Amino acid sequence: MLRRTARRDRMIGLFVLGLVLFNPPVLNLFGGTVFGWPVLYLYLFGAWALVIVCVALVTRAAAPPEGDGGSS
Amino acid sequence: MSQPLVLGVAVAYLLVLFAIAWLVESGSKRLGRIAGSSLVYTLSLAVYCSSWTFNGGVGRAALNGFDFLPIYLGPTLAFCLGPLLLRRILRISKANQITSIADLIGARFGRSGGVAALVTIIAVIGLVPYIALQLKSVSNGFAALTLTSPDPANQPFWFDGSLWAAAILTVFAMLFGSRSIHPGEHHPGMVVAIAAESILKLIGLTIIGLFVVYGLFHGFGDLFTQAATVPEVAQIFARSPEHYGFSWVGMTFLALLASFCLPRQFQVMVVENVNERHLDRAVWQFPLYLLLINIFVLPIAMAGRLLLPGTANPDNLVLALPLLANQPVLALVAFLGGVSAAASMVVVETTALSIMVCNDVVMPALLRVKPFGLEQRTDLTRLLLWVRRGVMVAVMALGYLYMRHDNAQVTLVSIGLMSFVAVAQFAPALLAGLFWRGATKAGAIAGISLGFAVWCYTLFIPSFTQVSPVAGFIAVGPFGIDLLRPYALFGLTSLDPVTHATFWSLLANLGSLLVVSMLGRQRPVDRAHAALFLDADNPAEAARIWRRTALIPDLQSLASRFLGRERTAAAFDIWARERGLDPATAINADAETVLYYERLLASVIGASSARALVGAIVEEQPLGVEEVMGILDEASRLIETNRALEAATGELQQANERLQELDRLKDDFIATVNHELRTPLASIRAFSEILRDHADISDSDRQEFLRVVVGESERLTRLIGQLLDLSRISEGGAPATLAPVDLVHAARDATAAMQQVFATRGVALTTHIDVRAAPVIGDHDRLVQVVINLLGNAAKFATPGSGRAELSLRRAGDQFELAVADNGPGIPPKHRDIVFERFRQLGDTMNGKPEGAGLGLAISRRIVAQHGGRIWVEEAPGGGALFRFTLAAVPAGPREDAAAAEPALLPAR
Repeated sequence: MLRRTARRDRMIGLFVLGLVLFNPPVLNLFGGTVFGWPVLYLYLFGAWALVIVCVALVTRAAAPPEGDGGSS
Repeated sequence: MSQPLVLGVAVAYLLVLFAIAWLVESGSKRLGRIAGSSLVYTLSLAVYCSSWTFNGGVGRAALNGFDFLPIYLGPTLAFCLGPLLLRRILRISKANQITSIADLIGARFGRSGGVAALVTIIAVIGLVPYIALQLKSVSNGFAALTLTSPDPANQPFWFDGSLWAAAILTVFAMLFGSRSIHPGEHHPGMVVAIAAESILKLIGLTIIGLFVVYGLFHGFGDLFTQAATVPEVAQIFARSPEHYGFSWVGMTFLALLASFCLPRQFQVMVVENVNERHLDRAVWQFPLYLLLINIFVLPIAMAGRLLLPGTANPDNLVLALPLLANQPVLALVAFLGGVSAAASMVVVETTALSIMVCNDVVMPALLRVKPFGLEQRTDLTRLLLWVRRGVMVAVMALGYLYMRHDNAQVTLVSIGLMSFVAVAQFAPALLAGLFWRGATKAGAIAGISLGFAVWCYTLFIPSFTQVSPVAGFIAVGPFGIDLLRPYALFGLTSLDPVTHATFWSLLANLGSLLVVSMLGRQRPVDRAHAALFLDADNPAEAARIWRRTALIPDLQSLASRFLGRERTAAAFDIWARERGLDPATAINADAETVLYYERLLASVIGASSARALVGAIVEEQPLGVEEVMGILDEASRLIETNRALEAATGELQQANERLQELDRLKDDFIATVNHELRTPLASIRAFSEILRDHADISDSDRQEFLRVVVGESERLTRLIGQLLDLSRISEGGAPATLAPVDLVHAARDATAAMQQVFATRGVALTTHIDVRAAPVIGDHDRLVQVVINLLGNAAKFATPGSGRAELSLRRAGDQFELAVADNGPGIPPKHRDIVFERFRQLGDTMNGKPEGAGLGLAISRRIVAQHGGRIWVEEAPGGGALFRFTLAAVPAGPREDAAAAEPALLPAR
């Protein structure tokens, strides 16, 4: 189990990462199409999914298993 | 499709949702368990996706490409800050029984109604366009599905889809949100219904997306390839550095703030939250939901551009595409998805707004106006509910009117963004309030009002394009002042209206909040209040600030008017059990109990109303400056702690010094004993060896040596005896025997014993005994020993050759006083105490001490102390030392006679 402050710091790190990835100018680096798919579409959803997965991993590592029935 | 069919399906769908909500609240165990789960919590957060997402997102994507996405990337970023920001909001709100965002901001800034009412009014005005958006979306969808004209102007009002939508949604909002009053404003039924709607929204949009991508096209690749042939679409896909700039960043930022400032988001995220740990999962599950619901938005929009070029209203593409493919059932699913999105948004938003208006505007106003007779009414729960229902109707009516006015020229997203900018005005005060104790009430009011004013000027008023003066006002500015044009304030022309308004309003808001807070002065009690508000939940601490007392029956009757009699009684039972009170006999409520009732009330009618109501029946003791300072200044607390620490350190140092002194004394003692024992032993051994090894020494020498050996042995014996005496005396508190003793007798015995010593040393001893008899209680032998010790000292220190010593015994009041003086060097005043300590011999211990180990005076003092007397040393009239001790005389009586009868015998002894 991660210490609370370590988890908080990682989440802030992910916030900054998202801030950079989701916004121009980094955003404007992606354009055109690859195999017919728009690169920006792939990039935005890919970066978004990456941040979500990282957040899930950080919170998973931090939280002890939860015993509420509805979400399992 | 016919209008009644579509209407009937929509109403039936809403009724099913209501049935779910009703089952949850009527106590179905299975559903109740679901209601408390983290998944339902996450899905209820998805109320964020209103018909703006469902219909507007596709419309925006069809026109502008990717810039529908910042609205969902912003909340993702906000939830990255979940552990830092959202959890803090959640904790503080729970601790203070917060019922809305207006309540939270109001409670932070002094629990006075002003701030909360300001926030509420801004929220209502700011959200009217947003509610209009939902009505417009539903009526557009209804029109598209029934193939009627969406423009209400072309219809008789009973065919006006948006009016029907408004009416039906209002009824459902009332059913869900204002069925009964719950402490804490929990609406578990509503939450479960919204979660169900969120599932339907996601499924609906995904089905349409799959149908479009795989039914109308051959997968994503085919769709995108075809779309790229349209020049404008190709331009959207192309790489262009200038494409996404400030407006993208501005929207991301707005959405970030809106994800916790929107009243409905605050309602589901904070007020309806039942378990803080649900947030741990929501921080990634909610963004995941947003991602999933947006996957098909761009493909649907692209398909719309290809299949329905030049559509008048791109917001209807979700419905239009299935209809184009002649799939009415799919179109109906899409319509129901849109209705779900709109209904959940409207229900939660109006519920949140009705709570805010009721608790922060209407109730405080009613409480101030006496003629309403609120004092006399015993049950106010019905009044509360009707106020809330009235507010819901009013809000929906405003939304409808705004929509009627605001014709189809403006897209859904643009209207929604306007509301986002309005609620973003709460963020500076909220965030500063949560993280900065220096934020003041005046600063909050200044920031929110100025930001709101700029919003009105740059966004809201210009939205009334149909009013003719407004059009000119937009074009040339008020009175033709070019710099004040609302869409290009101070000549800022490079931004689109929403980004422009976001920039200026938040700049004005944050700027005035900071400036007013920093320049203004905060009363100490306000700062104490802020500190208590922010520092978790501690009723005892808070009770220190509001030292209010009241009668429990008064509080009970007050609470039962708003909560009902049973709930109030149950709540008090819990409190009484917690505090160990007897519910039957407890009458007086202390400050903590008053605070408990205030929070109980606050959970129903908001913090400021609760404060006012409780304030009317409590007796408040003014808070002293000292208490305020005590609570307020961590610094002063630290100083106090420091002082205590210093004192403790000082004591420790003293104790340490004392210990070191004792340690040194012990070392001295051992060294002295060692020395005193070794010296005689060494000489005994040395002389014995001479006697053994030299048979030829003369008899006179032999005699001399043996005399030394005997003398040294005696000295050893005496020393050991003294040591034993010392340890024996120190053990017990009282003398070994307690008998009548005549001190005269003891003095004579001692004098006789020491006669030889004085003679040897050439010291003249005189005695002055002024009493016939000196009866005391004690141990004769011990007292003799004391006198011998004192005489021994006198003999030792008196000037050799011409030495004089004097023993005197007299009566002083009810005490006998025995003194021994000599004409020696005397004892300097600073040493007069330490001579009584063990082995404390003045001068050098190694020299000139043929007798004694420095134990005599220590033993004497103990003996005298055991007899209840006192011994001390002073300067003799002739310059030497004068030792004096006093002992209590036995009270006059038969004993005196007995003592008087005895003297005749004394000389015989």
